Amino acid sequence: MNRRAVLRAGAGLAGAGIVGGCLQTESRSVRSPPLVENRPDAVYYPTHSEGMEMVGSTTAGEYKVAAMYSYPHRFWEVTGADTNKKELDGSHAMHFMAVVWDPETKTVLPNASLTAELTKDGSLADQTNLYAMLSQPMGLHYGNNLEGDGDGTYTASIDIGSVPDDRVRRSGDFRGRFTDPATAEIQFEYSERARDDLPYQEYDDAGNRAALEPMDMMAPSATVPPEGELPGAVRGTATSGDAVFVVTVQDTVPAGIEGDGQYLAVFAHTPYNRMVLPSMTLSGSLADDSFALESTLDPDLGYHYGAAVPEVTDGDTLAITVDTPPQLARHEGYEMAFLTMPDAEVQL
Amino acid sequence: MDFDESLPRRQFVKAAVAAGGASALSACLGRAPRAGEPVPTGVSDISNLPQRQHAWNDRVRVDADGNVHLPRHQTFLYLTVDADGPPEDDARGTVEAALRTLDRAYERSNEGLVYSLAYAPSYFDRFEATLPDSVDLPEPRRLSGFENPTFDTQDALLHLASDRGDVVLEAEEAMFGDRSEANGVAVEAKLGDALTVDDRRTGFIGAGMPAERQAQAGEPISGIPDSLPVPEQSPLFMGFEAGFAGNQATEDYVTIPEGPFAGGTTKHVANLRQRLGDWYDEQSFAERVMEMFSPSHAEQGLVEGVGDNLGADSGIDAVLDPETIQQSISDHGRVGHAQKAARANRDADGNVRILRRHVESTDDDVASLHFPSLQRRLSTFEEVRAAMNGDDLTDNPAIRQRVNNGILEYIFVQNRGNFLVPPRRHRALPTPRPA
Ligand code: HEM
Ligand SMILES: [Cu+2]
Repeated sequence: MNRRAVLRAGAGLAGAGIVGGCLQTESRSVRSPPLVENRPDAVYYPTHSEGMEMVGSTTAGEYKVAAMYSYPHRFWEVTGADTNKKELDGSHAMHFMAVVWDPETKTVLPNASLTAELTKDGSLADQTNLYAMLSQPMGLHYGNNLEGDGDGTYTASIDIGSVPDDRVRRSGDFRGRFTDPATAEIQFEYSERARDDLPYQEYDDAGNRAALEPMDMMAPSATVPPEGELPGAVRGTATSGDAVFVVTVQDTVPAGIEGDGQYLAVFAHTPYNRMVLPSMTLSGSLADDSFALESTLDPDLGYHYGAAVPEVTDGDTLAITVDTPPQLARHEGYEMAFLTMPDAEVQL
Repeated sequence: MDFDESLPRRQFVKAAVAAGGASALSACLGRAPRAGEPVPTGVSDISNLPQRQHAWNDRVRVDADGNVHLPRHQTFLYLTVDADGPPEDDARGTVEAALRTLDRAYERSNEGLVYSLAYAPSYFDRFEATLPDSVDLPEPRRLSGFENPTFDTQDALLHLASDRGDVVLEAEEAMFGDRSEANGVAVEAKLGDALTVDDRRTGFIGAGMPAERQAQAGEPISGIPDSLPVPEQSPLFMGFEAGFAGNQATEDYVTIPEGPFAGGTTKHVANLRQRLGDWYDEQSFAERVMEMFSPSHAEQGLVEGVGDNLGADSGIDAVLDPETIQQSISDHGRVGHAQKAARANRDADGNVRILRRHVESTDDDVASLHFPSLQRRLSTFEEVRAAMNGDDLTDNPAIRQRVNNGILEYIFVQNRGNFLVPPRRHRALPTPRPA
């Protein structure tokens, strides 16, 4: 009998009232302490963190993918500026995660659509969309809480979807890339006991405006390089909703993007650990000229928001408007930040 | 085979249809709600039957609003031809004789049996000649950037449907099993003598059936959360009615108008698994209406309950223009399933282009959907599916490939197959260019 069956059998015996408590022990609510009160509208220290187990990594088509799992996590889906908390349910066995990147440039892809199917002994344990999400220790990844079917050997079949051009523009050698879907299969051992042995830590200073250190993964992380290492000239920074915008001017427009003046590349990242903040709608205005800052994947610049402009004059003011905040799910500590994002101005 | 005798009667019949076989049939004959009630018989002169194998609409139940209700029990038998190369004439004769047995045995209706036998592009590859230009029938292919389906490339698909579970079972046993009589009519020839069943899938549709079947022996089937949320009155797992008369192509419209296969149609059949935990547990009714129909439907409170109140039309045509869709996306961060798909589902004169005949399934204890769609040209289906993908709407990052994008977050394509449903005169192992 799988865990779910045990729970249901229990429900039959003990009645519905007890099931609530039973489910909670099953999902070890001790391991998800209550949220801190008065969470700031900013990045904050979560109540706890958990280790993760590397499941494996492999190559599929033009992608490299690594998968891992951790204890089931609460997380928040984001639609516009609204968050919707995904509650844990007693049938979830693990928080299953994957990171996808371009092997050559190690660029992490934030907009592939991932599906994971988990089978054990040839029968389906769960199949789900993996949400693009952001966590302090893990950075940008795809994940969801999945149901299992007891201890044993699982096969995770991960469908990596193509990235629509309408969603993110590609330039340079990334033109024409990430248009073919691919499937990766990874086998792994899972047991409740191994999962429960994963490191677990609670924090006394939960709620403080700070962030956990990223952990080591067998996958590259999507971070914006320090200002000194960014290509082009850094011309200023601004913050909005706790996000940092670093504005650079490139002397040439990346291949494949129309325009022959200069190129404004805006890098958006989290405070403290410089994790890329993808999936916003941004627009800019410079000297009475308004334009979209289009989300773009470029092999040299990485993920950024860009616009070709005739010329940037010293002392010009770039106004950045966030029409849509980062549309990706958030782990605890990020769910209050990057939602209400007022206009920002940068003197170039 | 053991059948759980304690199951409620209707559930029992479903279990029997899903299991199939002679023991299921005999168990079912004793237990079916209307076992013992006579099944209306068919015709001895098949010229009394329509040329269109897909002419089902005026032979099944239609409600007061004119909406067609598909037969409650359905079986999809994926068949392979027993030899290599083009089939021989005697195989053709066997198939025709077998189908005539079904025609004689059962009235062509929901009380008896409605059925069709269709052929895949791979079947026509057995011949040197190719299909005429009047038939548009590509091989099945991937229809979204995030799916990786198995392609059903068996030769043929026999689709059986009846309101009586004992009839679909008996017809199957008569065609492929040991049964020597079908509804009292002697079985003169069996499809099984020319064709082999490669895969067998079962479906059901009707108010109450999904709710009854969301759990098996107290355990939710895969895709259904512990809360067992499927509404009592819903004909589909996702909680709404589908297939309003005004949102379906007519049989006339989907019929191939010319060439040797005039009177036939093309059929796409997908199988999609469903995962409905987040659909029900994380979303309000209004959010489900937004994602299934359109955000405007939710704003205006157009849908009540399972959507009975919509009458004969979902009203989707009022919300298809790009401005309305963009406005809904900025106001609600969502776009509706019907709204997106319908954009490509009208011709220049406003006629609906595809005829959807989807039914639910609990095969392998997974909540899934068998999705047959009929259209004059198969590529029309591909265009409608592309519109349903909504890739063009993902420029607003609230709309992700699978998230806030209609119902794509909850459905997972497992199989796709394409078929030609020939007119009756060419239903038995046709050549690509029949005279
Ligand atoms: C679990 C899967 C599905 C469910 C529960 C579902 C349900 C519905 C519902 C309730 C509607 C609105 C009412 C109606 O017009 O029938 C609708 C509309 C529609 N659906 Fe689906 N559907 C599913 C999958 C699909 C798929 C795979 C397609 C493939 C293209 C599709 C194509 C359409 C189209 C074209 C419409 C709009 C009809 C029009 O043009 O007005 N549906 N669906
Ligand atoms: Cu995660």
